[in-house]
Amino acid sequence: MSEPKPKKKFSRRKFIVRSSVGVGVLLGGIYFSRPAWRRSIASMANSAEPFYMGGTDKPLLWFEIRADNQVLLHSPKVEMGQGTFTGLAQIAADELEVDFSQIKVVHAATATGNIDGLSTGGSTSISSLWQPLRELAATMREMLKHEAARIMGAEASALSVKEGVVSGNGRALTYGEIVKEVKEWEIPETPPLKDIKSYKFVGKPLPRVDLHDKVIGAPIFGMDATMPDMLYGAVVRPAYIGARYVSADTSQAEKMPGVVQVVKEADFVGVVARSIVEAENAKNAIQVTWDVEKEWQSEEIEEMIKVGKGEPFVIQKEGGAKRILDNEEDVATAEFKSPIGAHAQLEPNGAVAFVEEGKATVMISTQVVKITRKEVAARLGLDEEKVNIIPTYLGGGFGRRLHTPNAIQAAVLSKAVGKPVKCFFNRQEEFQNDTFRPPTHHVLRAKLGSDGLIRAIEHQVSSGDVMFGSPLFPGIAEPILGADAGAWRGGMIQYGKIPNYRAVSWRVKLPFATSWWRSLGLLANTFAIESFMDELAIKAGKDPVQFRLDQIQDDEAGHRLKEVIKAAAAKAGWKDGAHNGRAMGFAASTDANTPCAQVAEVSIEDGQIRVHKVTCAIDPGLAVNPDQVRAQCEGAIIMGLSASMYEKMTVRDGQLTPTLYGPYRMALMKDVPREIDVVILENAEAPGAVGEPPLGPIGAAVANAVFRLTGQRLREMPLELA
Amino acid sequence: MKISFNINGTPQEVDADGNTPLLWVIRDVLDLKGTKFGCGKAACGACTVHVNGEAVRSCSYAAKFAEGKNITTIEGLATGDGLHPVQQAWMEEIVPQCGYCQPGFMMATAALLEKVPNPTDQDIDDNIVNICRCATYYRMRKAIHRAAEIKNANT
Amino acid sequence: MKKNYLFYTLFLLTAGMALAYASSELQEGDAMAQPPGGEEPEDALQAFDKMMAVLTHKRCVNCHPAGDRPRQGEDSHYHNFGVRRGEDNHGLPALRCETCHQQENNNFSGVPGAPEWSLAPLSMQWEGLSRVEIARSMLDPARNGGRTLEETVRHLTEHELVLWAWEPGVDASGTPREKPPVPKDEYIKAVKAWAEAGAPIPEE
Repeated sequence: MSEPKPKKKFSRRKFIVRSSVGVGVLLGGIYFSRPAWRRSIASMANSAEPFYMGGTDKPLLWFEIRADNQVLLHSPKVEMGQGTFTGLAQIAADELEVDFSQIKVVHAATATGNIDGLSTGGSTSISSLWQPLRELAATMREMLKHEAARIMGAEASALSVKEGVVSGNGRALTYGEIVKEVKEWEIPETPPLKDIKSYKFVGKPLPRVDLHDKVIGAPIFGMDATMPDMLYGAVVRPAYIGARYVSADTSQAEKMPGVVQVVKEADFVGVVARSIVEAENAKNAIQVTWDVEKEWQSEEIEEMIKVGKGEPFVIQKEGGAKRILDNEEDVATAEFKSPIGAHAQLEPNGAVAFVEEGKATVMISTQVVKITRKEVAARLGLDEEKVNIIPTYLGGGFGRRLHTPNAIQAAVLSKAVGKPVKCFFNRQEEFQNDTFRPPTHHVLRAKLGSDGLIRAIEHQVSSGDVMFGSPLFPGIAEPILGADAGAWRGGMIQYGKIPNYRAVSWRVKLPFATSWWRSLGLLANTFAIESFMDELAIKAGKDPVQFRLDQIQDDEAGHRLKEVIKAAAAKAGWKDGAHNGRAMGFAASTDANTPCAQVAEVSIEDGQIRVHKVTCAIDPGLAVNPDQVRAQCEGAIIMGLSASMYEKMTVRDGQLTPTLYGPYRMALMKDVPREIDVVILENAEAPGAVGEPPLGPIGAAVANAVFRLTGQRLREMPLELA
Repeated sequence: MKISFNINGTPQEVDADGNTPLLWVIRDVLDLKGTKFGCGKAACGACTVHVNGEAVRSCSYAAKFAEGKNITTIEGLATGDGLHPVQQAWMEEIVPQCGYCQPGFMMATAALLEKVPNPTDQDIDDNIVNICRCATYYRMRKAIHRAAEIKNANT
Repeated sequence: MKKNYLFYTLFLLTAGMALAYASSELQEGDAMAQPPGGEEPEDALQAFDKMMAVLTHKRCVNCHPAGDRPRQGEDSHYHNFGVRRGEDNHGLPALRCETCHQQENNNFSGVPGAPEWSLAPLSMQWEGLSRVEIARSMLDPARNGGRTLEETVRHLTEHELVLWAWEPGVDASGTPREKPPVPKDEYIKAVKAWAEAGAPIPEE
């Protein structure tokens, strides 16, 4: 049995050691530790009905083999569009020796399955399950073979397995037939895994397992969930930053048509009615007194977020960058800014809950299944085992569902009326109560050497919290980490040949909730650093692609980064400067060990920036499903373009605004590049991160192209021409 | 009030407040969950259905206006055994990611193809203005062109 | 609610107190100065002032744009999502006005609605015109859809889409839309008075 290779990050860097442990565990994709799944196999063996696979509703883990020889894979990770279910099906099918079409992936529920203890996020679903799932599937296959041998009276080694059928000795049994005959399972030592090259499904661009359901509009999302006799809830949510619930006059709401009950809690007020419309109408009739200490304005937030205002923490240091930059002449400096960003996922947050006689069931779109269970149990005063969280497909995640306390509200309303209650945010509430991507401010300084390469560089980023303050991340770890690794994600200097470099993360506590937004700090930090790299290349009179290649170190990470840079430049036909009204811009980043380089081809039409083509080279290691890697790149590029070019929340008179699509301008069909060319390199053996890394370079790539066309250096997102 | 209409080819009579958005009648009274709530303000297009063949955002359409009309939702887009050409193209191009907005996009696209059998990129840009946060637009454009091909080959 | 409003209006009209009622609705001061009563025929140019105060308001001009893009909102920004006029002024093939706008305002979505919700034809573009230029275009059959004066008056005083301006509903966040600065009945009276006086257009 081979040990999964521990992922090494930032080799050669003098990375602040005390932060590397926690971050490595959290973001490195290895937190789904071997003991955890080992334990799950052990518990299967020890429980009264171990590893039940008879196709009923009995407790089971991971695999459920049905009589018709279909295998249900109970996924410990949720599907939010990132394609995880498909990748897991491919991985499992290969080791389990079934056809891809025989596997159906479903969400594990806390009562019946093995749920990832932390979350679905951080681009880790496939990478973290790659080793354990293959071993589990191989083990399962051997168990089935072993039982088949017993039934057939043959030696297991004499049997062969193909497409879920065990044959030998002149007989053949399907997996479905075998499980019917098994009372007790024997769990063997984990068998050796197959040679990756022999895999039939891993590495193939197979269609998504959820494709058909999603094309026919099947009811698979949290908001589609129903329970018998279900009522509809609505909760009054704050519209002002920092608003504290004081009291509510519900006299009018109580008389509204369809109202079943008005529910007043110490921390919120809600209403339960027969329909969504009646619940919303009644909610609007509740007069809530809020305590709002201060009416915040955008200008104040911008002032708070400036580098130098918060608490600094040095996250990267090599040589004497600060000394050089403080004392020498001809130091290049530049400042960059990024705005508050909304998640704007299409399915609002909400849940369907039923609380009855000492137990609770919650159906919900969430990225944190277990944390949600813990929170609901705590609020209801129940043991966690009495709370079953049934995850549904997510109508978008993007980090918005890495805290879903809305499950509590649905549960409390259900408990009050003794019936299932569906309770969701409306869109305005969703915008007002988002956990936003924090605004950032960046100060960069650099000094070129006589060879035209960078002698010293410094990146300082000031940001609101991302990881800190999240329920995923105990506050006790903050002093250990020092800096918010979410805020500085992508904020380190990735050009290791530079002799002197330094990165500083400034922490600012903002008065509104900021949190995980797909790729975290990567979007803004890469925009700042890679725009600045472009400025430095121009100052040095060098081609920006070669300028980057010349300053990347020669280790494995450096090699992979250089390869994507070269591949992107080659595929795009990289040309510096403007040609026939168009120009290319170049940028590259490394995120969660996945390097990505992008070339944006841009023109100016009617005074607006128009992106015609984006070429993207990415090296996520082994691509379990190249088509889904491509899909994630296309989506990330467009989402990154949207955030870089159009999106911005502002704070006005204490409110976050706007609160609707349209006024919150996002990329539409018309804004999308007509060509997106994705090149996938696979210079690592195991699968790595895919969902977030390709968001990194796009903002800088566009801004760098705009400079070549207009001479305007755009240093603030969203990018706007003067 | 009683409201009668055809939905996906089947006559229906519902008893609802006439001002209830058609979306909630479709989702919660008739239990057809493919039509999605995204914003409730006719801004995102996730709730797009066809009313007498026209694309309509059902969150902003009072149920009383449905009286006597023919309504089609994603569940009724395909007629016969197979999928509608738009759905077929969506399968071929593997468009959906999270999938939540996709029914609205497919309904808008199906309406477009009825009016413009061979839409240009400009037609697509102008007419398809729904919102997809996973940003599957790139594949959607390909799928719309492909759907036109399939549809035109069928007729 | 709507019923009450109409009843109240009719009652006041018959009582000959239209202006008194209307002034309670005014948002701007100019018409407030008018004494209640309004029995005497209005001076034609005063009537013109009142009429044009309405017709140059964003509730009217947003849908009489200079190009193919409608405007919306109190700040008359271009309609979200790149909405366009289309061949029949009712939008594009799959992005019709009726995709979102119905026969009446929708209080849930804040989407305004009225019968025949559409853009005024391009020939009737008012955006960027002075009030005198607007008036001239209204009287020019080449630009007013071939209407006679009588038909123009009917459009201005009876067309439900025009009169929607006084029942503009709420926006997406539930905030009432701003109404034109002259009450509806006073406006109607002014249009008629102006037409009866021979539809004079002042030199400006």
